[in-house]
Amino acid sequence: MKIDDLTRRTFLNKSIAMSSMALVPNLMSQAALAGGHAGTMVIAAPATPQSLDCEYDVSLGTFEAVAALYDGLVEFEKMPDASVPTAQREDTAYYADKVGGVNMKGKLAESWELQPDAKRIVFKLREGVMSNWGNELTAEDVKWTWDRKFGLAAIGGFYTKVSGLSRPEDVRVEGKYTISFNLDNPNPLILKIHPNLYNPIYDSTKCKEVATDDDPWAKGFIENDSAGFGPYRLESMARGQQAVFAAREDYWQGKPAIDRIIFKEVPTSASRVQLLQGGAVDIAQYLQPLEIKGLKGVPNVAVETVPASFMIWIELNAKMAPFDNVDIRRAMNYAFPMEDVMSSVYQGLASPLDGCMPNIYPGFIGGSPYSYDPAKAKELLAKAGFSDGFESTLSYNAGDPVQEPIAILYQSALREIGVNLNLEKVPAGSFYNAVSQREKAMIFYVDSPWCPDPGYSMTLYFDSESFVNYSNYVNSEVDGLLKIAAETADEGVRLDAMGKAQEIVMDEAPWTFVAYPNYTMARNSNLNGWTYYTSNNIRFQDFDKS
Amino acid sequence: MKRLYLFLGKRLIFVIPQLFGITLVSFLFLQLIPGDPAVLMAGPFATPSVLENLRAELGLDKSLFEQFLIYISNVLRGDLGNSWQTTRPVAEDLLQRFPATLELIVLSLLLALAIGIPLGRAGARLKKGVTRRTADYYGLFAGALPDFWLGLVFIYIFYTVLTIVPAPLGRIDFFIIPPPSVTGSLLIDSIIDLNFAAFKNAVGHLILPVVTLGLINAGPILKMTQATMERMLDEDFSKYGALCGLPEKVIARKAFRNSLPSVITIVSVLFGFLIGGAVLVEIVFSWGGAGQYAVNGVLNADFNPVLGFVLVSAVFSLVIYLIVDLLYFYIDPRTT
Amino acid sequence: MTGKFNLFFRVLKKRPDFMLGYIIVFLIIIIAIFAPLFAPFDPIKSDAKNYLKAPQWPYLMGTDATGMDVFSRVLYAPRVDLAIALLGTLLSAVLGVILGAIAGFYDGSGKVAGFGSAFIMRSADVVQAFPVFVFAIAVVAVLGQSIQSLVMAIAFVNAPIYLRLMRSQCLSIRRMRYVEAAYLAGTSDIKIILAHVIPNSIAPLLAQLSVNIGWAILLTSALSFIGAGVEAPTPEWGSMISMGFQNIVTGHWWPSIFPGLALAVTVLGFALVGSSIEILADPVRTRKLLLS
Repeated sequence: MKIDDLTRRTFLNKSIAMSSMALVPNLMSQAALAGGHAGTMVIAAPATPQSLDCEYDVSLGTFEAVAALYDGLVEFEKMPDASVPTAQREDTAYYADKVGGVNMKGKLAESWELQPDAKRIVFKLREGVMSNWGNELTAEDVKWTWDRKFGLAAIGGFYTKVSGLSRPEDVRVEGKYTISFNLDNPNPLILKIHPNLYNPIYDSTKCKEVATDDDPWAKGFIENDSAGFGPYRLESMARGQQAVFAAREDYWQGKPAIDRIIFKEVPTSASRVQLLQGGAVDIAQYLQPLEIKGLKGVPNVAVETVPASFMIWIELNAKMAPFDNVDIRRAMNYAFPMEDVMSSVYQGLASPLDGCMPNIYPGFIGGSPYSYDPAKAKELLAKAGFSDGFESTLSYNAGDPVQEPIAILYQSALREIGVNLNLEKVPAGSFYNAVSQREKAMIFYVDSPWCPDPGYSMTLYFDSESFVNYSNYVNSEVDGLLKIAAETADEGVRLDAMGKAQEIVMDEAPWTFVAYPNYTMARNSNLNGWTYYTSNNIRFQDFDKS
Repeated sequence: MKRLYLFLGKRLIFVIPQLFGITLVSFLFLQLIPGDPAVLMAGPFATPSVLENLRAELGLDKSLFEQFLIYISNVLRGDLGNSWQTTRPVAEDLLQRFPATLELIVLSLLLALAIGIPLGRAGARLKKGVTRRTADYYGLFAGALPDFWLGLVFIYIFYTVLTIVPAPLGRIDFFIIPPPSVTGSLLIDSIIDLNFAAFKNAVGHLILPVVTLGLINAGPILKMTQATMERMLDEDFSKYGALCGLPEKVIARKAFRNSLPSVITIVSVLFGFLIGGAVLVEIVFSWGGAGQYAVNGVLNADFNPVLGFVLVSAVFSLVIYLIVDLLYFYIDPRTT
Repeated sequence: MTGKFNLFFRVLKKRPDFMLGYIIVFLIIIIAIFAPLFAPFDPIKSDAKNYLKAPQWPYLMGTDATGMDVFSRVLYAPRVDLAIALLGTLLSAVLGVILGAIAGFYDGSGKVAGFGSAFIMRSADVVQAFPVFVFAIAVVAVLGQSIQSLVMAIAFVNAPIYLRLMRSQCLSIRRMRYVEAAYLAGTSDIKIILAHVIPNSIAPLLAQLSVNIGWAILLTSALSFIGAGVEAPTPEWGSMISMGFQNIVTGHWWPSIFPGLALAVTVLGFALVGSSIEILADPVRTRKLLLS
């Protein structure tokens, strides 16, 4: 008699849950506090936020924290997900009849006026919005926020550039509740950039209070606490252990449904799975495909997967031979064992990367010319003069569990066509360093461009001047098309230009295109309200318990 | 008494230059590791100007010699620098993690002593028989087993299959309110706080890692005890005792007492080794110990944690060796 | 010569566990050399369709997450582990012996030589004060992840052991009459060291070497487990245990357990051989053993 592996594991896992409960006599009441109690939501995350300052930190925990502690000016309207009706997602489609072409809802901003030349936008702020320190939202807060971005010029610096601002004076206070952004040139992102997770508005009154001469932008304060207009405030933070958020009674939209959020650091994904199954946590973040598969069918757990803005690919360094040869790069794509990777590594929880920007964004042109065809790959190698193959090194992130198996599968497949890969394991903490230095021949990269805009996405990775263009890809025609898309607000022209750009890029294969990994929400089945955001984080305020 | 002070004094004089030497060597050595801390800290949005500012802040633009002096002067003030990975002062991180490692090591060594000494003594006294064989083989096996693998085997057997221990994810389940930290040891602190739920839970989590390390480290203790006792039992004084008609138990006790210095030596060596050597078990059980912290530091070119860890563990080792020498002093009147 | 062999076999007969040790070591060496003949599959060829298969025919020890056959990989691993351990240990022995001989011979003597000796000893102190793993990982981090750097890491970590061994040997041997005699006869220092000191230290050195090789294999595996060892997917016991680590909690025990078993057995073999050499090297103990 063959016992189905999955059912046996599920059985065992349930008994683990049972017995861990047995070990701690008052676990039931604790779990009631944690998992069952309507007032608390517990999240098992890979890490607690390092810094709460979105000017400097892009670590996972920080995203969730910023989303709860701060509000931005606007946000996208929500709509139910096509495949998962219990989940909501942002409506990021292009609407020709709406202001700025986007389906936006006001948050801190009540209304806005966008000039047709896309060089100026005026926001009218909501009145009577209080921060967690009791200060009212005024245009001063918005001004201070953007001045800070100019002043510190780190992540915020990127946002000032991408939204077309040239100097702090471009952001003008025009009334107690009126603020304007004035650009030298038309910029299509002038409105679209504001729902971005990393454009929250600070409570400048509080910040100025805690600022010092040495620290005029309140870095020390913002790193560890919050001064904002979001639905939660920080109750406590023990880095490496947990962060606790408390709902604000005086939040302008009304107190959120869940009183307390416990954001717990549980570094191993296997442990997060166990905690969810045992009912000790409400959400288990960032699980591996095999684990997600194992959770299906567990009674108190709901597992939902939706297409996301994530992309994973392998940068082929155009400045290092032989990847300066476009036929070699194409060959590398024909030699990629896509089916095997999708089924064994991703367990069907991803789709092949058949484009060079997120396929859920407006302006996406799909249709990759590549498929797994070793014969074709060999042909291209011969055409490029490498019929004997060549040797190279693929660097991967030790901290991302899918990368090593993908690398091994790719290495085996490449061996068939005479290409010998050395695999280089890079520790998680220094991985980003290795990527940004652009000195590796082949290196993985996982990213999601947050702004649902084709121009934004394409510019990030394929503009020869972009700092995120880690593959050193240079194509002046693409640069030209990107420039067109950046300088006009005419959506028709932009979509056309970006369509062409995508075709060129796909043809020139600066990357080995790997996958669109889905975003999975593994949660307690009595938790409702999950919304998918292009920034790939959750917002605590969306949830409630039934 | 005067001899004791002289002895202590002589030893302490050497401690400072030794620590200094260790710090200097570590500092220089770590510089050789590729990786620019400023780039690592600044992350994705680092423009050259941001990097320059960061370097100036971190003092990376000064000469190595200056950087070293600054580091030393900071250390003397208790500032071990910051870790860019945890964004906290290294001193704080170590204060939290060292007790975790120490609790683990101390308990493991106690278990190892409880297993190793009796078996070693029995092995030395008996020339053949089951106990002797057990002692011999145990010593060999324990030294051959990789501790991280043994930990995994135990997790598989006792957690995945038998499910009688809690999940290997740290020192205590998170829904248990931990006791306020007094000594850093969860067991002691929960007793002080009369928090028995925490105590029970902490014990549950300690069982597997302590058994893993204890079983393996019992090996060297056993071997040393057995070998030394065998030699002692062969010595003239034991033979004389037997001639005089002293009962075997008494002879064994005296032989054991004379073996103590070697046993203490091996325990101190193990202790020193385990401070950094327990890292594998720490990783397997997600312990959050100091060794794990330092290893992550080396792998990610985060130097301050590594330097801090090396310093603290060197201090620890030196203290241990000092205590051991004092014990010798107490046990063996022949030492000067 | 035959007399020595005779003694050897008599000892082995007395201690069948030593015999086992030699057999294990012999087998491991054979496996390392002839792995291609024994292994049914290519150890680094992944086969996604057959991932995480439990032990069954033809996968005697099952397959890992990328479909590589665990049995074949376990058989190929000794090539890497043994090579690194042997090279590293030998290198550390050479390094340690040379430095230890100098330190021991010139200990307490005149200005330059005496200072050199003290310097060597203090340096050894500093190296040994470093937490072992941190030091080894740092060496690998500096030199880059490769087999050479693992060899260097092992060499550096173990050298102080041989250094101290050699030094204590030197200190005691140089007081021997025959050394005094040689010195009086005008033999150069180097000649004395080479002709008298080293040959008399061989026995304890050999015993230490054998045990060390076992420990070096453990260290290599430990480093690979942490992620500072051989590059994937080179078959190596520690890295196999590390790669299979995630799978244990989901119930797939074979990618980690089998390599660990092989590792333990191998290290045990070397430890037994080391114990036997210890006894054989000391005629008193040999006699005691044979008479017991």
